[in-house]
Amino acid sequence: MTRSTLNQWFRSAWPPFVAVLLFLTAWEAAVRFFGIEAWILPSPSVIAQEASSSASSLWMHTLSTLQLTLIGFAIGSTFGLLVACALHLVPLLKSALYPLLILSQNVPTIALAPLLMIWFGFGLLPKIIVITLVCFFPVAVSTMDGFAQTDRTMLNYMRMIGAKRTQIFRKLEFPHALPSMFSGLRIAATYSVMGAVIAEWIGAQKGIGYYMILQKSAFRTDRIFAAIIIIVVLSLLLFLLVTLIERLVVRGGRRGASSEGGESR
Amino acid sequence: MNDREKEAPVKLELSGLRKSFGGKRKPLPVIGGVSLQVRKGEFVSLIGPSGSGKSTLFHLIGGLLKPDSGEIRLDGRVINGERGHIGYMPQQPALFPWRTIEDNVVLDREVNGAPRRESLEEARRWMERAGLAGFEKAYPHTLSGGMQQRAAFVRSLLSPHELMCLDEPFSALDAFTRSEMQAWLLDIWEETRRSVLFVTHHIEEALLLSDTIYVLSGRPSEAMRRIEVPFPRPRREEITETPEFLSLRRELTNLMKEEQRKSTGMPSARQN
Repeated sequence: MTRSTLNQWFRSAWPPFVAVLLFLTAWEAAVRFFGIEAWILPSPSVIAQEASSSASSLWMHTLSTLQLTLIGFAIGSTFGLLVACALHLVPLLKSALYPLLILSQNVPTIALAPLLMIWFGFGLLPKIIVITLVCFFPVAVSTMDGFAQTDRTMLNYMRMIGAKRTQIFRKLEFPHALPSMFSGLRIAATYSVMGAVIAEWIGAQKGIGYYMILQKSAFRTDRIFAAIIIIVVLSLLLFLLVTLIERLVVRGGRRGASSEGGESR
Repeated sequence: MNDREKEAPVKLELSGLRKSFGGKRKPLPVIGGVSLQVRKGEFVSLIGPSGSGKSTLFHLIGGLLKPDSGEIRLDGRVINGERGHIGYMPQQPALFPWRTIEDNVVLDREVNGAPRRESLEEARRWMERAGLAGFEKAYPHTLSGGMQQRAAFVRSLLSPHELMCLDEPFSALDAFTRSEMQAWLLDIWEETRRSVLFVTHHIEEALLLSDTIYVLSGRPSEAMRRIEVPFPRPRREEITETPEFLSLRRELTNLMKEEQRKSTGMPSARQN
């Protein structure tokens, strides 16, 4: 079982792996062949060298960003979840607020960041608010979708046997919505890293975003690339973390996709 | 039906039940005066053409809908619009995919506040009788359709409410599994003697299982015929080949055909 899944993983993993390897080789070769200057486009080997030589400072900034991301992600997701539950349980609230919620997504959250800095200063609070705003929406909407898609036969069954509203919510609607809640959480996880970096661009004394701004003014393109790689890795790690938690929480062959795929037949 | 059952107290009584849908301006009558009785320990089937409002009738009994007029009495008490008095088995098994089979089977008891350990003990006993031993911790998607349906039946059997309402429970199964399930249900039921209201459009199934059959007319439906099924218990599938069975089947088939013909040409049925 484990062996075959490992095999399967290997089989699906090697084509993209080779593709990345080829891309990096082409990049390296092109930079050397055309003699492109490092401040425009450094070669992968130069980036790797720079990353390892400034590892300790990068590590410090990474930790700071990670901390900010996790706090923001936790608060934003919790908030999104609570709002979804509240709107679902109080239909009037939903019909009043749901359209506004959708509309509010036309306001680019990122553009609010400078405003938040003015109001709340350069501390942790405005940054956490930015990440919260970014995380909140995907979690709230996908969780509400999950609630709304509750299986009609199961709902009918619960009503027929006399289940109360809270029982229907706890025993049916909430567990039923878990897969789609997690797909919202996965999106929020990657968004939260982006939110943290942008918040750091606008005002911070440390963090990967701050580091990027600093290196930009020094034209250290190699260091900017190193920072980008760290951002990608952070996003991936958070994504994997959410997937891992989903595996522990969602049972009965429903993980991954949010739909039922006919398996209940 | 023997004398013991004839004297049994009435468990469920519907009298003059009416229900329309679609507002006051253009009401669409679905149930047009259904009266019937289920005695304690009696197996009663309802058959009728498709779209004769059988599901609506169940929703009325379950309290999901309120009748426009008429009464639903359980043990002599009017329960119009009240929920939580019956055990129920829907057409689709509707097992919760994130619960193991044993957790699914005790759901009705759980909702009604029965102690968990007791429920699980009871569940294990009946799961064994349902051929589900060894699947206690399995998830529903790993079971075949017939097994899922048996699990759903055990779930309704474990309901603390004596009356069980079964809504075309075998209609989604293939013919072979279906006849297996009928024999199995017959066996279990004759052992437990619960009061059952069973909806089906399968005439043979109704004749094999029931003490009494009510034939519903097309929409707006009424209980237009009551038939007592004379075969003694315990029954075996062999009775389906007796001349008596065949003549009853023919009679019912003709009745149903006529109703079906009358009701075609009507607007499409409200089904759910």
